[in-house]
Amino acid sequence: MGDPIICPVCGKKAKTGSAIDCARHMFGTGDKPHRQWVDAQGLSFIDLLIEQATTPGNKSYELLAEYIEKDAQKKAAEKKG
Amino acid sequence: MNKYTVINPPSDFKVINTHVHNIDGVAKVTGRATYTFDVKLPNMLYGKILRSPHPHAKILNIDYNKALQLRGVIGVATGKDTLGVKQGIWRRYQDLCDEQILPVDKVRYIGEPVAAVAAITEEIAEQALNLIDIDYEVLPAVYEPMEAIKKDAPEIHEGFERNINVTRHIEWGDVEEAFEEAEYIREDWFKCGGQAHMCMETRAAVSDYTPDGKLTIYHSNQSPYYMQGLMAGVLGMREGDIRIISTYVGGGFGGKFELDGAIFCSAVLSKKLFRPVKIVFTREEDFIATKRRTPMFYYVRTGVKKDGTFCAREAKVFTNGGAYTGMGATALYLTGFFHSFPYRWPGYRYDGYRVYTNTLPSTSMRGFGAPQAMWCSEQQIEWIAADLGLDPIDMRRKNSHYEGYEVPGQATIASCGIDQCYDEIKKWIASKGKLPPNRSIGLSACGFMSGGIFNWFDTPYSFSSAVVTINQDGTVELHVGAQEIGQGSNTTMAIICAETLGVKIEDIKVHSGDTDHCPPDLGAWGSRQTLMSGNAVKMAAEDAKKQLLEFAYAQSGLNIVYDLDIKDRWVHAIARPERGYDYGELVKKALRGKDGQRIVGRGYYTPHRKGMISPAYSYMLQGVEVEVDEETGKIKLVDTMTAHDCGQPINHLGLIGQLEGAFSMAAGYGYLEYMPYEDGKLMNPNLVDYKMIRATEMPPANIAEIDTYEPEGPYGAKEAGEGLTNPTAAAIGNALFHRFGIQLKECPIRPEMILNGLKEKAGQDKAAGKDKPGKKK
Repeated sequence: MGDPIICPVCGKKAKTGSAIDCARHMFGTGDKPHRQWVDAQGLSFIDLLIEQATTPGNKSYELLAEYIEKDAQKKAAEKKG
Repeated sequence: MNKYTVINPPSDFKVINTHVHNIDGVAKVTGRATYTFDVKLPNMLYGKILRSPHPHAKILNIDYNKALQLRGVIGVATGKDTLGVKQGIWRRYQDLCDEQILPVDKVRYIGEPVAAVAAITEEIAEQALNLIDIDYEVLPAVYEPMEAIKKDAPEIHEGFERNINVTRHIEWGDVEEAFEEAEYIREDWFKCGGQAHMCMETRAAVSDYTPDGKLTIYHSNQSPYYMQGLMAGVLGMREGDIRIISTYVGGGFGGKFELDGAIFCSAVLSKKLFRPVKIVFTREEDFIATKRRTPMFYYVRTGVKKDGTFCAREAKVFTNGGAYTGMGATALYLTGFFHSFPYRWPGYRYDGYRVYTNTLPSTSMRGFGAPQAMWCSEQQIEWIAADLGLDPIDMRRKNSHYEGYEVPGQATIASCGIDQCYDEIKKWIASKGKLPPNRSIGLSACGFMSGGIFNWFDTPYSFSSAVVTINQDGTVELHVGAQEIGQGSNTTMAIICAETLGVKIEDIKVHSGDTDHCPPDLGAWGSRQTLMSGNAVKMAAEDAKKQLLEFAYAQSGLNIVYDLDIKDRWVHAIARPERGYDYGELVKKALRGKDGQRIVGRGYYTPHRKGMISPAYSYMLQGVEVEVDEETGKIKLVDTMTAHDCGQPINHLGLIGQLEGAFSMAAGYGYLEYMPYEDGKLMNPNLVDYKMIRATEMPPANIAEIDTYEPEGPYGAKEAGEGLTNPTAAAIGNALFHRFGIQLKECPIRPEMILNGLKEKAGQDKAAGKDKPGKKK
């Protein structure tokens, strides 16, 4: 297992430190900075939220988790290089 | 006639669980109890509130000059007379404080207060309301959550995209994997209606602001401490300069622990005019301008194995939050949590969305989101059992919580009597024999919390506190912050105090409902007082008793290996109970030994390391026998039996009253108390058109009390009065399912729904080639 993922906005480690928990944390917090970060990834915070609300399953959280993971990998690479 | 059976009766208590009458009873039945409604102060004015006729509109101008000219009118207040503070109980979460009582910019629901008049009589104040001119710019409005989240819906609060007010997410286990393991998956959509709190005493307040900058408020509420803090916030005063007096309260049911228009407007007028101002809501105002049980839309997907083992559940919930947050954010979490109860789910996911609409705000109400959760959960479980050909009780039992079970990441179950509940209900069903053809039985299980571990209010005080003072004659003054709202809290606290000190119930005088004289306590909500305030009282009484027994030891000359105790006012060595002396004698000696100072004991309680929700959980299973008139669709409740685990019962008579009261409220929610809105307007804001269950319609409310021991509760006690609001609606629905085979997904169940259901069922049966509708139990 790699390093725990911390929130790219507030630096908090969500529960297990997994990307999906971080995504849940971002939706759960839902304040302006967290929304802005999601929107800045080319996603729409509110659309993801409505998608999560109106369809079975966990698609929105999973999609956001992918972006969070990529961001964490990018930051790790920057730190190394 | 009701039957009351005790399973596992406990030990040798002298006061606990004995036949103690309500200690406020005499004052109440002789009319001596002074409710806020009865308060009359010298020089007092009467206030009335002007309310918005529009569900959504900008306030352009308010002109009250003509009203001021009416003889007898002393003053008018609008939002401009206030600090403009957006209030809410969420002092830790300011974003959720969104309600400005007497708004200046816009109104968001029909009935929202916009101005308040004070006059020498209520009639003149009422008349003056007609003389206030308000210019509105009417805005487009939205009333249903699924409409309000659409892209083009009107914006109700600035900055809340798609009108989403709050979201809550609960998840444990690998939900997808757990669904993979399921051999049968069922999904349903449900609709749960609102419900009026319908307190016997409507919202009422008398505010008296004096030139020395002190404000005294008589107010009907569930938490004087919250009211003190909230009023300090909206008026820009110090908490200590505000005194809240709420000695007698005619019901709360979750609707009276937030600020209401009566307390706020009377205080604003009193501050402006330096005279006492009284505002009492009419029944119609109580309907249209307070708050209500939260209406919800529930999507539930459940996966089980063919043998009935539960695998996974997913729920998505939209709540009609109305115009403001109120306590709705907590209801949104709790509905998701209790939707899992009382079962073990390897995978569980809940997403809750509270949506603003231009309707009456919704909030907490007895059950705090759980009745809605159980309406959906317990019906779907019954349908699944039928689909799989399983016994619904056995399927429930197989998946139920047990002592020591951990709800992942949420709670640890320290006591759980649900297993015996199943046995008792099975016995009750068997005792019924063959039912007449127009009758059937439905069941529903649930659990509930014993107080919340939530500190949204950011109190620096203990959650509960108590002070015990012993007078020279042995009588005891018990000061508590616990709030008596008709549920019997004063009696319960007196019982715990008397049992602990070893005195009689008549030795205890309870002081509650006055912030100047009682220690802070979060008050009466979420079934918290028996456990939390009860622990504080027990600790205070133990503290006082310890001080007394120290003197007793010193006097006795006993070998230190002996223990002393007091029981029934008798001070004695436990090993030699026949040798002792009177407690009153000991008190006098102790006073002399303390240079005349009274013995004072202090106690407090705040839950620590008790999970996310509550320190303890009650459990119950309810059976309801229902009769239906197939021509009219009208329901009659014939009989009920509730098997109930509330730990160690403390207040025996109070418990029975609470269980019956909860049943009547829950039955009302199940099939009577319908709140139809048209264009944001409630169509039945009166007791003629809003149907509640009447005494003559109450079936026998039989109870099998399963006594368990809850280690966190005082003497093993836990929740008793609220949880039983949860199962009844679903039990009624399940009875109809067993009678007719119809699956009703909206509550309250109305006659036309039954008739339509029967019609549809007949059509389906015809199409399927069956000639007889439904299956009968």
